[in-house]
Parts: sequence; structure tokens; C-alpha cells
Amino acid sequence: MNRVECLLIIATFLLFASLAGTPAMARAESDASPEEILPDTTSAQAGAPADPASQAAVWFDPRRVNLLVIIGLFFFLVLLFIRKAVRGRSLYVRKITGLSAIEEAIGRATEMGKAVLYVPGIDDVNNIQTIYSMVILGTVAKLVARYETPLIVPVCKAFVVPLAEETVKQGYLDAGHPDAYNPDNIRYLSDEQFAFTAGVDGIMLREKPAANLFLGSFFAESLILAETGFSTGAIQIAGTANIHQLPFFVVACDYTLIGEEFFAATAYLSDEPKLVGTLKGSDWMKVFVMGALIVGAILETFGVTAFTRWLTVQ
Amino acid sequence: MSVPKPEDVTSILATDCGSTTTKAILIEKKGDEYRLIVRGEAPTTVEAPFEDVTKGVLNAVREVEELAGRKLLSGESILSKAEDGEGADIYISTSSAGGGLQMMVFGVVKAMTGESAQRAALGAGAIVMDVIASNDGRLPHEKIRRIRQLRPDMILLSGGIDGGTTAHVAELAELLSAADPKARLGAGYMLPVIYAGNVDARDIVSERLGEKTALVLTENIRPVLERENLQPARHRIHDLFMEHVMAHAPGYKKLMNWTPVPVMPTPAAVGKIIETIAREEGIQAIGVDIGGATTDVFSVFQTVFNRTVSANLGMSYSISNVLAEAGLENIMRWIPFRVEEKDLRNRIKNKMIRPTTIPQSLEELMIEQGIAREALRLAFEQHKSLAVGLKGVQQERTISDTFEQSSSGETLVDLRQLGMLVGSGGVLSHAPRRAQAAFMLIDGFLPECVTHLAVDSIFMMPQLGVLSEVHPKAATEVFKKDCLIHLGPCVAPIGAGKEGVECLQVRLEREEGAASEGKAAKAKGTTESLSLKFGQMAVLPLGVGERGRLVLNPSKGFDVGAGSGRSLETKVDGGVVGVVLDCRGRRPFQLPSNEGERVKKLSEWNAALNVYPERK
Repeated sequence: MNRVECLLIIATFLLFASLAGTPAMARAESDASPEEILPDTTSAQAGAPADPASQAAVWFDPRRVNLLVIIGLFFFLVLLFIRKAVRGRSLYVRKITGLSAIEEAIGRATEMGKAVLYVPGIDDVNNIQTIYSMVILGTVAKLVARYETPLIVPVCKAFVVPLAEETVKQGYLDAGHPDAYNPDNIRYLSDEQFAFTAGVDGIMLREKPAANLFLGSFFAESLILAETGFSTGAIQIAGTANIHQLPFFVVACDYTLIGEEFFAATAYLSDEPKLVGTLKGSDWMKVFVMGALIVGAILETFGVTAFTRWLTVQ
Repeated sequence: MSVPKPEDVTSILATDCGSTTTKAILIEKKGDEYRLIVRGEAPTTVEAPFEDVTKGVLNAVREVEELAGRKLLSGESILSKAEDGEGADIYISTSSAGGGLQMMVFGVVKAMTGESAQRAALGAGAIVMDVIASNDGRLPHEKIRRIRQLRPDMILLSGGIDGGTTAHVAELAELLSAADPKARLGAGYMLPVIYAGNVDARDIVSERLGEKTALVLTENIRPVLERENLQPARHRIHDLFMEHVMAHAPGYKKLMNWTPVPVMPTPAAVGKIIETIAREEGIQAIGVDIGGATTDVFSVFQTVFNRTVSANLGMSYSISNVLAEAGLENIMRWIPFRVEEKDLRNRIKNKMIRPTTIPQSLEELMIEQGIAREALRLAFEQHKSLAVGLKGVQQERTISDTFEQSSSGETLVDLRQLGMLVGSGGVLSHAPRRAQAAFMLIDGFLPECVTHLAVDSIFMMPQLGVLSEVHPKAATEVFKKDCLIHLGPCVAPIGAGKEGVECLQVRLEREEGAASEGKAAKAKGTTESLSLKFGQMAVLPLGVGERGRLVLNPSKGFDVGAGSGRSLETKVDGGVVGVVLDCRGRRPFQLPSNEGERVKKLSEWNAALNVYPERK
């Protein structure tokens, strides 16, 4: 990691730390009367000491030290694992079958002489799942370019179209096949949920893609899409963080990414040290949170409340 | 020349023309059964100055003739029909002389049609020199250069399902056309190319390659991604092997006229006999042939036959490569005494430059067998990665698969189900003590639960493989009675524990009335019990021809095939070693990391199995 990146991270950390203190100041200010907040200009001018209330409204709120510690721990873990990954230490990420199967699905499409269909969900660009889906789309585009297989990306929201176009174009460029990029295959269908679904079903039935990838935010259309895809004989890989849709994907698709696996996809597919380090750091943070929950529950059972109180955000 | 009816066959003469020696065997019908009578061998004469493979064949047969006291030759040819105690009813042969059958295979996706093409070629007895695929990451000029450099005997071109991609197949055909490869043997002859891909691309392939190569079209090896159809391609490989490769090899035309059955590539013949035995016995089987330059592994799991050749793993010419691939540490972990790294390296290099030498001291033998363990382990690892289910196949899921989504292309090799492990090759067949061969097989393959171990006594599996094509009964009988030396079953519980923790209780009830040999004979009809701790090995005597009932009671956390901690009763056949009980753990199998401790444990295990004589 270079110094600039380190400085950026430290700056972000300080920003978070200051944010942890800011509400306290705001609250202290709100609790105080206007007279207490406004500096006493007369006494200041006379060289008298400042009002004690205005001195209490400082940058650091000791009641929120818990947040500072937890954020600090999170930063420490992420930085530690990024450092390890960058130095070439192999960080174990368990096998995610669904992600490993992406290349297999593209291979199947290649052997069958058919296209690969990639649906990045039905949400807009402001949804984190759509953003993650675009990152995965970049990897998929690179792979299909290498396999010289067509890629069709139907899009539901207009704002996603330029993002998808650029992502796929970059993927083809990275693979050294810019000539194979076909902008007509990034298809805006409709902003309406079921009109879009009908459009994608139409593509599946007419063009019979051999591999369908549903990765993003899906709702009621999930089963309709996955069942249609299954009937066409395609290998299907789905992934969404909308857990209410997972059962439908599981039964109708060959492989399904469950919840967090979807967010791990970028690190898993790219094997980029910084992404893998971040993934490992956040995983260990989750382990810490789970551990804290268990310890808290045990202590509460025995009537020891100090730990829980310390963790409570005031 | 016609093949006689099986019931008319009373004597069989078979040869295997290897790279260095030609082996001949004579099989005769004695009463109701077929038995091996004698064996002879002579140097192979395919290279200069003789350049005629039949000279070596005649020399080997002459030795058989002298040993059996039966006239088999008539001048410079083999007597084809048995009359008045002369000649043999049928003569058959295999060949791996001159490097065997060397092939390159092509596929669109390496893990799909590329892998299927590889399996088709390997199953036909070929050495696959390279797999060229659209997605193999090489640039076109690199592929062309590779094709020109390798000069294979034959090429198998596949790709696309029927009705699938034609563009990728055309691209592969164009690469091949641009490379304009020449056949390894027979200058001026066109290179045989078998096209076994998408039927829709046949015209394109014919247009590109029809004039430049001896192109043969056959059925698609992957008509749909869900199914492989390897047999038509394998038959074409055999045909072309005979028509082109054999016909251009020195002396093979004459040899082919002596036999009514096509000369089979040696590995294909070995695979054939393993397949036949697995089918007839209804077991899952693995066979291994560890040679000087290559190691072949054959397996039959779920009735699917697979063969792989590790072209760079062997005990003489390729011994340095075993060191390079396994690493010095992995070799040293099997040696039961302290050895300097430099000393070990020197010994290995010496073996490479003097490939025909054999160990002269106990230390040398231990080192050689340590290297063999690693060669076997690496060859088996390679085999497991190729003996896999089909990739790119659509799955059907239920909600119960949510957290356990198995992927396609998993290995077919399941050591829990393995019934028989057969070893062959000098280091196994000629080990001074059979227990050494058993121990090498156990350490190299790490069999799990209950597995029967055997070695090929005099490496006649190739001849029996080709014999199984024309006379399966004779092949099976000779294989069971004369070819195999049964070492005995190996019991290895799956699981790991702490050193000294109770692992397995065994009770062996020997059956009465069975014929027995060796020192186990006196124990016939008796019962013996043993309790083993984790990290221990032991042997219960059960001689060749004896049968027994094994009652296995594993401790909690250990599995002998019935589930964790569950008892298992099974019938087992004896062998020259007996019932080997291996409680060193599986999944993972680990040797002590501390050198002193490791040497102590290795010595302890060697003593338990009586593997080596005591060192003075």
C-alpha cells in the first residue's frame, strides 16, 4: 500500500472519529440554552474566562469511545489483511461453487454456440447490489471476450445502461478483444418490473442463451425469470442479497449465491489483494461482532451489565 | 488370418513389445482352466541396428520355446496353429516400442471437449502430448509453433456439441492447417487427423484439412454436453494406429501379418484387463504401472474407465522430475534414517544417468522406494484431476441443496469404494519383499476403509488385456491365478486423532477349509483380535487362498466404511502380506514434522509390517 492510500485511510478514520464526537457536541449544544451557546462577548472582550457550557461542547465525546474503538478495530483488521495480501500471503477464501461455475457456464455457452445472458437486477444504480453486479459484469465480460462468445445484458433502469455499456466495453478491452464488443447487446427494455421480465423471458425463449446469470437485486420476477431459463436448458447462476427471493433461485437455478456471497464475489473473482484483504478484514469483524453478542448474552445472564452498557450507543 | 473360436483355443502365445524388452508368455489349457506355462524375454529390436521389431519377438518366443519344450517357431515366423504339440492356436501382441502412440488433442473449451478428447485418446492407449483449446490462453502463433515442435503420431480434433459452435471448430482447423504438421514416422506420409466434433462443422473441417492431412471423420465425442461418446473415436484411433503408425514402424507390417487380432498399444491393453476385472468382479478398481519414464494410472469407478499417463514421472529417466515436482522435503519424509540433502540429490541424479542400475544397499533401496511413493502419489493426484464427471452439465436442485451446492466435474475417484488396487512396474513387482510393495501402494494412494492390494507378478497385464478381447475367460483365469500376487487387504480408518488414542478394534475369524500357503496356514480356522491406537500399524496373518471375516469396531470419529464410529463386518481374501491395519489416519494423513519423531515412527511402522531387515 502506498503512502497516499495510507493517508487517505487515516483521514477517513479521523473523519469517522470526529463524526463520533460531532453529535455529542450538537446534543450538548441543543441541551444548552441559547445564552450558554452564544459566547459572552462582553466578558471575552474583558479578558474573562469563557463560559463553562461552551467549553463542554468539545470535539470529543467520551461516551462514544466504544464507537471509536470498534471503528478503529475494523480499520485495523482491514488494513492488516490488505497488508498481508499485498505482501503475497495467501488468504484463504472458501470455495464458492456458484462463482467458480461462472466460467463453466460460459464454457457451456461456447460449446453450444449460444450467448450468455447477464441480468444485473431490476434496481437502479443507487442500490449497492447493482453496483456490485456491475463489478461482476466486468469479470464476466472479460471471460466471454476470451471465449469469443456473445454476451447479452438486458437492463431495467435507464441509468444503468451507460454503466453496463462501459463495464462490458472495458471487459472486452481488458481481454484484448475490443472488436468483439457489440453495443446492441446491452439492451434497455423497460423501467416497469414485469414489462422488463417479459422482455427478458422473450430473449430467453427466442435466442436460447446457454448460460443465464441473474446477479443483482431481484424481487417478484425472480422465479419467472429462473423458471423460463430452466425450461430453455440453460445453466443458471443467481445471486442476490434480497434473501426473500433466494428460495426461488435455489430451486430453479444450478447455482445460487447466498446473501453475503454475492458481495464477496468481486474479491473472489478478481483475486485482487486489496479486495481480498478487505473481505477477510470484514469477515473477522463479523466474527468479533458475533463473539461480542455471545459474550454479552452470557454476561447479561449472570447479571453483569457493564459490557452491554459499554457497547450501547448513547 | 481368422480368430479361432474360444472353445477351440488350447494354447496362446502373447508378446508385449516394450521400449526396452519384448516379453513373451505361453498360456495353455490344463484341464478346465487356462494357466501360464512359461515366460521369456529379449531386448526389443525396433531401433538401429536391427530396425525390425520381429527380431526381438522371435528371440523372446525362442526362449519360451526352449523353456516350454514346445516348438513355436518355423524358421523366421510363428507357427500359427497348434498341431501335435507344436505351435500355438493364437498369437497376439501389444506394443509400446518407439515411444508408443503419441497424440495431440484439440477441443473448443479445455475443460469440456478438450478434456473429453484427452480421455478418448488416453483410453485408446495414447500419450497425450498437449491439449490445444480455444481458451488455453496461448496466442495462435504459439499454438502453431507447439504443433510443429511436437510432431505427434496422430491428432484428435473435437469441439462443439452437435448443432453447436462451428466458428471455434473452424478456428482450430485453421490453426492445424497453418501448422501443416508432419507425421513422426514415415516421411512423406500425411498425418492422420480424426475429427470427432460438431457434425455441422464437418464440411468446414474437410475443406481446411482434407488435402493437407489424412482426415477421418467420426461421431462427435460430445454430441451433447450431458453425455460423452468416446468409443467411436477410440476405435478410429486404433484403426489409424494400425494403418499409419504401426505400418510405418520398422518390422510391424510383418508382425501384423502373424496375428489375427490388431496389435494393441500396451497401455490400452492394460486398461482393458483392469476394466474387464472390475466389470466381472463388480468392484471399483485402480491399476498403476510405474515405469522408468512414465507412470500410468487406470481406474474404474461407477463403471467409468479412466486412464492417465504421467509422462514425466518415473523411476529412472524421469526420476529427477519426481524430485522437482514433489520437492526434496516430500521425498525425505519417507526415508527412515537421516540423510544429507546433497547425498540424496546425488543418488537421484545418478539413477537418472544410469537408469538400469538397481539399489545395491538397504539405504539405496529405502531411498528408491521413498521416491516411488512420491511418484505414485503425484501420478494419482493427476489421475484424480482427470477422472472427473462431465463439466458444463445442467443441474437439478431442490431447496435442500441451499447450503450444499455440489459442482459438476467432481472427481469420480472415491477411495472409500475402492475394492482393488493393483500395482505393476519394476519397483513394485520386483521389490525384495512383498510387504515393501504393499507399503508403497498404501503410502502412495492412501487407500481408505477396506481395500484389497495386489501386484502384477511379471508384468503380463498387457498380454492379458489384448487376450481379453478374443478370449475373456482365459484372460480372467490367468490374471487371477498367475498374474496377480495378492498382498492382502488394507484396513485404514478415515479420521484423525491424537497419538495413542484408541482407534480401532479388529477381530479376524479365519475360515476353515480354504487352501492356504505360507506361515499363515497354521492359523487356519482360528480367531484373532487386536486393538490399535491412533498412529499404529499392524499385520494380521491371512495367507494366499485363505478367507476370513473381519469385524471392525472403530472408535468415535473414525470411519471404516459404515459411518463414523460404526462397526463393519466384511469378508476378506488373504495375501502374502496378510491383513494390513493402518491407523495412521486419513483426511488428513500426516507424518510427524519433527525429524527425530518421524524417523522413529517410520522405523516403528516398518518393523510392524516387517518391511525391511533390521539395519545393523
